Amino acid sequence: MSLVPQPAVFLYLLIIVTCVVLAFIVARPAITASREGKMLAFVGFLVLPVFCGFWGGTEHFERSKQTSFCLSCHIMEPWGRSLHVDDPAHIAAAHFQNHRVPPDEACYTCHTDYAMYGTMRTKLHGLRHVYMYYIGKPMNPIHLYSPYNNRECLHCHLGSRSFEDPTHVAMMDDLKSNNLSCISAGCHDTVHKVDTLAQFKSWSSQQ
Amino acid sequence: MNPAPANPKMARALRVSGLLLVIGLLIELISLHFNHPLSFLGFMFVGGGLIVLGVLVYLWALVSLAPSDSSTP
Repeated sequence: MSLVPQPAVFLYLLIIVTCVVLAFIVARPAITASREGKMLAFVGFLVLPVFCGFWGGTEHFERSKQTSFCLSCHIMEPWGRSLHVDDPAHIAAAHFQNHRVPPDEACYTCHTDYAMYGTMRTKLHGLRHVYMYYIGKPMNPIHLYSPYNNRECLHCHLGSRSFEDPTHVAMMDDLKSNNLSCISAGCHDTVHKVDTLAQFKSWSSQQ
Repeated sequence: MNPAPANPKMARALRVSGLLLVIGLLIELISLHFNHPLSFLGFMFVGGGLIVLGVLVYLWALVSLAPSDSSTP
């Protein structure tokens, strides 16, 4: 497990304050007989814990988008290394190294579902990953649950000048309808070639 | 504040609720220190579950054990 570099200090403080308020009321329950005590108890037993829970949930949710979060499972290590392959033909590596996707959220940016409730669906998939990793039997080799949807590529590329060349324009309908995958053989078919990583040099930023 | 002796059952319910909430919040605090799927699950299901339980015990105590206000018409 990696320690989080920038903890949500205010959330930490709020949790500690809530615990202190709770401890005070539990130690002196007689104060809840007064009106002010009842109000303090309402805030300490209901408002603050629920607020802390939602804030903490949001914080965890945001952190779960981080590349380091996805790669914290040992089984994902080769996929993490594939982002550093020194070969522009590897599209995952090229996107990561050239910051076409935010490097801190590289996995999430390409593997989320750009549709309604897509983030929630992605997180539910994440729960399935955890179940398979700790309780079930992980896939061998790892593969996507369903074919990669062109929608995730087009979310960024559609409308961009470099994408709208004659080749892409000619097949745009098939791309939009997923009849032709962006990662079809002969197109952008080198994504995460984890079985051939040893053949390539590794690149990493100097920063 | 003018504290009066609390209903013993209410005081006990508050103690149970407070304990559940403090443990839940401490689990949340610890889970926030790590960036790992297990800490996410610990937060969601263990910490979150205890917080929900603690709040429910408090609400149940309010509804069932709090003395009725005699000044209300």
